Amino acid sequence: MRRILVTGAATWTGCHLIERLERIPDVAVIAVDEIPAPVPLKTEVRIFELDNAEFAHFVIDAAPDALVHLQTVDRSAMLGGRRAHDEAVVGSQALFGAIHRCRSIKQVVVKSDLCIYGMGPRCPSVVTEDTAFAGKRGRYGRDLEQVEGYTADAAAVRGDAVFTILRFAPIFGVDVDNPVSRYLRLPVVPTRLGYDPRLQLLSGHDAVRAIEHAIDHPEPGAFNIAAPGQLYLSRILRLGRRAPQPLPSRAYDIAIKGMRRANIYLPEHIKHLVQYGLVADTTRMTEVLGFQPNDAIRVAITNGFRRSLAPSGLQ
Amino acid sequence: MNLDDLSKKQLLEMARRRNLRGRSRMTKQELVAGLSGIPPPQAGAASATPQERRNLLNARLNSFVDHSISCNWRGAEGRPCGLPIIRSRDRCSLHGGLGDSDLAIPATGRLGFDTWPTVLRQLWLATYNVDPIGLDPIVAEMVWHVLNYLYFEYFRVEVEGVANIPDSGPVLLVANHGGAALPYDAAMLTLAVTNEMTAPRRPRIMATEVFNATPTLSHLYRKVGGVYASRGDAEYLLRTGKMVGVFPEGVRAFQKPFSQAYRVQRFGRGGFITIAERHGAPVVPVAIVGSDEVHPAVFSSEILARVVRLIWPSQRVEEMAVYLNLIPLPIRWRIRFLDPIMPSHSGSDPDPLEMLERTQEIRETIQKNLYELLAQRGSAI
Repeated sequence: MRRILVTGAATWTGCHLIERLERIPDVAVIAVDEIPAPVPLKTEVRIFELDNAEFAHFVIDAAPDALVHLQTVDRSAMLGGRRAHDEAVVGSQALFGAIHRCRSIKQVVVKSDLCIYGMGPRCPSVVTEDTAFAGKRGRYGRDLEQVEGYTADAAAVRGDAVFTILRFAPIFGVDVDNPVSRYLRLPVVPTRLGYDPRLQLLSGHDAVRAIEHAIDHPEPGAFNIAAPGQLYLSRILRLGRRAPQPLPSRAYDIAIKGMRRANIYLPEHIKHLVQYGLVADTTRMTEVLGFQPNDAIRVAITNGFRRSLAPSGLQ
Repeated sequence: MNLDDLSKKQLLEMARRRNLRGRSRMTKQELVAGLSGIPPPQAGAASATPQERRNLLNARLNSFVDHSISCNWRGAEGRPCGLPIIRSRDRCSLHGGLGDSDLAIPATGRLGFDTWPTVLRQLWLATYNVDPIGLDPIVAEMVWHVLNYLYFEYFRVEVEGVANIPDSGPVLLVANHGGAALPYDAAMLTLAVTNEMTAPRRPRIMATEVFNATPTLSHLYRKVGGVYASRGDAEYLLRTGKMVGVFPEGVRAFQKPFSQAYRVQRFGRGGFITIAERHGAPVVPVAIVGSDEVHPAVFSSEILARVVRLIWPSQRVEEMAVYLNLIPLPIRWRIRFLDPIMPSHSGSDPDPLEMLERTQEIRETIQKNLYELLAQRGSAI
């Protein structure tokens, strides 16, 4: 019996990953999150604040074989910037503290994001896993850098365990409620005047498959995960029949603030993303990790823009 | 091309280029008879008229596509692509027909305004992916076609030594930069390669971060095949076997006064040669005559640069040149591709001193050839 602990069980990827893991006969899932899962799951989701020592002791007592850390998603829309930062950074600190102690853990998979590389006029056009983090990252990118730092520290101490970091391209899906999906599905999309960024996307189901693949094929190191192909934002919006509204810098900021009043929250890194764009090299994903996404970017876009019946509320 | 269809003016122009004696007194029929006795010139030859060079180019590009079969690519919505396929492949140039090569073949097999409705439809429906750096084959193709008027008719560019460019694999073109406000030389260098090579490759010209930070240019330069001048981008392209073009003089070339025209400035740190060496890429030096005279600089001042920085802080100009004219002067251009310099120890990091010597050597070769080309060209207009 393999015991897999999943943090961030109430996230979109978390829920779908748990559903898939439940179907495997000799796997027991331990699900943890700060909030209850919005969809019914067979596995009970234990409610813990990650930045609490109580949680670290729970992990040590549960003694899982593998750990999937998904609670690194950007929850600033739900919890507010400060609280989201505490949860991601202090929570990860507690979690990796537990990993130092818990010798039964042989494998750790951490969900990260491409925005960790940073965006700006002086950043290389195509980032690889070895590219230094530079440029503008926003609060979320800086938080992720700390989380990856804790992962590296734990990997240095726990030489007997495999630590995998998956840096995902923006996940886009019809019922995914993350910043990029929220942004692209607006009826009129505010864009930056004079900028047309190149974007990579990943369909939600491929993100879940990538995590599952990483659990089955332990491979140490960081991997960029993105669907094959990249497109300019203007064309993504045209494919989705969304009207772009180009705005100069100041007007864009005002528009974002106005949307916050209307309960549409777009974090800082989205602003950099729609100005400079981000494209990562995925050679290591296909050649070292051996993972191949099912959906190319065009399919991910077509599926993501399908009219959804009801919002799932999953991030 | 049928000589009978041409106007007398066009025939006279052709006769002038081919040195037909007594042409000014001939009638139209005599001109046709006289010209039909002279064999048509080869591509790039000085005696060809712009229209002939254009037709030769289109015939060459057309030989790469097969119009009898249309591409079987279907988008997510099920729309067929309908463009002609690349010969011995089953896809058109937009949907993978060119594979990993950096060949520049227009989607319809030729350049012309009549193809624009077809290609603009592909652009509007966004049926194809751009490359990771951001090259958009359709935008590049349309800009290529428009700039060809500048290339053939206005600047009358003549090219030597195209055979020195390798047909495949990583290549680094190193050229002298011209003192113009707009990078005419980058455009003309790209066109010289795509217009004159038998199997036209697309050089990716490197541009400073000013392009990235300037609205509109920020994505346009990528769409036409530009690359941000950084170690990462150069290595990415050379690793995947593409052709990269670089102007190592950088902005220094834009700030020099007209008295310094065609004096090759210092070559920065020369990092480009180290990268070429590391990836086993031959270096082809290129001498470009014409770029420095298109917009002669009257004077350049630091005070003006300070004013520009005040208005536009993202621009990091240290000196600002004031140019004589707004419209480019109709200068005759000459581009010469020199003998490639093969990497000496491919794969390993080279010795810094050796690299410095080699950079200097390239600079001197370009300088020597610039003087030769200037003497050969004669009148600039």
